[in-house]
Amino acid sequence: MISQFLVNGIITGSIYALIGLGFALIYNTTHIFHIAYAGVYVVGSYAYYFFYRVLHLPVFLSLLLGIIFSVIVNLIIEFLIYRPAYKRKSSPMISLISSIGCYICIVNLIALLFGNEVKIIYSGIQPSYNFGSIIVTQIQVIQLVSFIFLLISYLLFMKKTSFGKLIMAFSNNPELLSSVGVNIFNLRIIIFIISGVFAGIASCLVATDIGMDPWGGMSLLLVGMVSLIVGGVGKFNTAALGGFLIGIIQSLVVWKTSAKWQDCITFLILIIFLLFKPEGILGTKRRFEEI
Amino acid sequence: MNYVLHILVMILIYGILTLSLNLLVGYGGLLSLSQAAFYGIGAYASTLLIIKGVNFFPSLIFSIFLTSILSFFIAYPSLRLKGDYFVLATLGFQIIVFSILYNWVSLTKGPYGIPGIPGPKIFNFELSTPFHYFIFSGIFFLIVFLFFKKLYNSPYGRVLKSIREDEIAASSLGKDIPLIKIWAFAISCGVCAISGSLYATYVTYIDPTSFTLDESIFIASIVILGGSGNLKGPLIGVAFMIILPEFLRFLGLPDTIAPNVRQIIYGLLLIILMKYKPSGIIGEYNLQ
Amino acid sequence: MNVIRLKNVSRSFGGIKAVNNVNMDFFSGRITGLIGPNGAGKTTIFNLISGFIKVDEGEIYFKDENITNQPPWKISRKGIGRIFQDIRVFKKLTVLENVLLGKSNIGENPYNLFLQVKKVEKEERGNIEKARYWIKFVGLEGMENTPGENLSYGQQKLLSIARLLMGEYEVFLLDEPTAGIHPEIVKKFIELMRKIVENGKTIIFIEHNMNIVSEIADWLFFLKEGEIYDMGKPGDILGNEEIRRIYMGLSDVKT
Repeated sequence: MISQFLVNGIITGSIYALIGLGFALIYNTTHIFHIAYAGVYVVGSYAYYFFYRVLHLPVFLSLLLGIIFSVIVNLIIEFLIYRPAYKRKSSPMISLISSIGCYICIVNLIALLFGNEVKIIYSGIQPSYNFGSIIVTQIQVIQLVSFIFLLISYLLFMKKTSFGKLIMAFSNNPELLSSVGVNIFNLRIIIFIISGVFAGIASCLVATDIGMDPWGGMSLLLVGMVSLIVGGVGKFNTAALGGFLIGIIQSLVVWKTSAKWQDCITFLILIIFLLFKPEGILGTKRRFEEI
Repeated sequence: MNYVLHILVMILIYGILTLSLNLLVGYGGLLSLSQAAFYGIGAYASTLLIIKGVNFFPSLIFSIFLTSILSFFIAYPSLRLKGDYFVLATLGFQIIVFSILYNWVSLTKGPYGIPGIPGPKIFNFELSTPFHYFIFSGIFFLIVFLFFKKLYNSPYGRVLKSIREDEIAASSLGKDIPLIKIWAFAISCGVCAISGSLYATYVTYIDPTSFTLDESIFIASIVILGGSGNLKGPLIGVAFMIILPEFLRFLGLPDTIAPNVRQIIYGLLLIILMKYKPSGIIGEYNLQ
Repeated sequence: MNVIRLKNVSRSFGGIKAVNNVNMDFFSGRITGLIGPNGAGKTTIFNLISGFIKVDEGEIYFKDENITNQPPWKISRKGIGRIFQDIRVFKKLTVLENVLLGKSNIGENPYNLFLQVKKVEKEERGNIEKARYWIKFVGLEGMENTPGENLSYGQQKLLSIARLLMGEYEVFLLDEPTAGIHPEIVKKFIELMRKIVENGKTIIFIEHNMNIVSEIADWLFFLKEGEIYDMGKPGDILGNEEIRRIYMGLSDVKT
């Protein structure tokens, strides 16, 4: 029955990949460890829930609003925290801690408004499809398809459009860019919009599939970070590879032992990569010298 | 009265934890998110011996040794990884340790926890009331405090500060930086075991949910808020962070929303402090 | 005696050869200068000797021991000390603490700190006395409790020199030691340098001030683009038309 596990792994992997890509986009360019991204993620699904289940707006409008809310929160964090820190030339550690503070505020605010417990958006049995001996639910198929669509559009955007090329250049040398007249701050806005979209979509997909709670964002973000490290830091698409690998490995762990060891193995992999292959599988290797 | 004593005991136990992290953050410049993991290992190590009949003090010493040795698992990454990556590694280690404490049911009883932990016995006198524990923890706290005071004013403390300031200059002066960092971790994690052992015998029941990543973040927040790099900052931080929730309760905030409000206040404080006073309320050290 | 030897040492940075197949010998009792235009590789050679950068090719010897690619702290403990072009005092530590760090103390190991209390205290007292001596020597007396960041550029440089002297090294690598320092103190410093090598120690220095170079150097290496362009006694090197042309600004220097 390994094939079922593999398919499950790929499907969870697609969510990890999405989060990983969103996180990677911000990290590769601004070198910020955007922990608050976990909060941005949670905002999306709760906004979706609010508009759909509380205000009874149509599904697609609610989804759209969910994604927009994620983007807005992402941008608020950029404007309120990261941009001033960048202008003051604060150290990355300070941004990291502020980011943690943001995460704590966002998630607890949501818990205050909506409660700490898990919420479901759709109750009842999901329609599912059979491929031989493999069963996938409708929402899982939508997940995978959305992810592929997003990944392709993202790659096309990065490689073909001028914005995309600017962003890639940004990750290498921000000062050079600004000295040739490119507005870095506008570029950062685009970066935060895109990563906000990724978080929002991932959030709504997962919420539709299995529901949501205010704390789910952090565990997902952590795996997203692992995906980035494993896939490769410095490049923009490698986190996707990392995400799928982790998803598959987790499924194999479940298959071989039990679900309870997933976290342990995932973070063991993280530490092994950090210590022995920090550039990841496909990332760019940098030689660090003392002086 | 018992209630006040309870608060004081928790302040003392967290105070010891905060002082331990202060060594790493304020003097070594290393932000570790693994303190709760070592707190937990210390608690479980001494508990498992105590419930088998071993006296508190040998159990404590064993747990200190165990955590000091296991500190190598985060000491080694600190030598190879810079800044954010090191924090990430400690985060990973914290999650791994929690997972082991939670899932290795045959050893730790996992989520069921270990109940009925007896109090420390000193020459046939068994501690039982909060007042006893207050004195007992107070003595340990004093010992730990004086220990760090001596450490920080010693050549070792000086060398540790120099590493925090400028590793390159320090190594050009012949300082064996890896060894110095390894010592810092061994001491810091060993001290966590003291808190763990005190906590276990005081609360008489432990389970893994006291030793999560959130707990590590909480301990780190205390150090950051109060300020690190000296001895006053952590103490102010602890007093503040422990008294605040009680203050909220005193204001009449319902228990259902109090935890969330408390967290929001912590979060806001972190953000505001990082913007205006990154060295904490009365700390000396700006995180780099 | 040949104290430091570089044998066929090369080092590149991203395709540019900063140091190209260099062979150099440094002798005890001598003050040897490295001069040359910016980017010639002088500081890189210091970094290679003191272990902050690894060689791509070649070997470095200290007396007869191969010290190539060893970590900086080990090389320092063997007896090779250096000061940096960008000074690097410990900004938040006091002058006294800075200088005390120049010498190791068994109390830097927590084990000793708690188990050999008397010995540690005795060593600390001795070190404080020595530290005060060097602080006075460089003219920073009275500023023992001032944090490093409150000193002027020149004072910080003097502090780094005091810290270096505290280390009682055999070999001193001085990267532009006199820049920004009052001429009176420079004189004192030159006297000290001579005294140090009279006692059999070795000094290697990088300087751009040719007056100082011609006054104290016993031997010079002139470097250009990572290679030794010429070497010899100061009189020969500084009098050489070719070198004067390459290294602009030499025409005013008396040789």
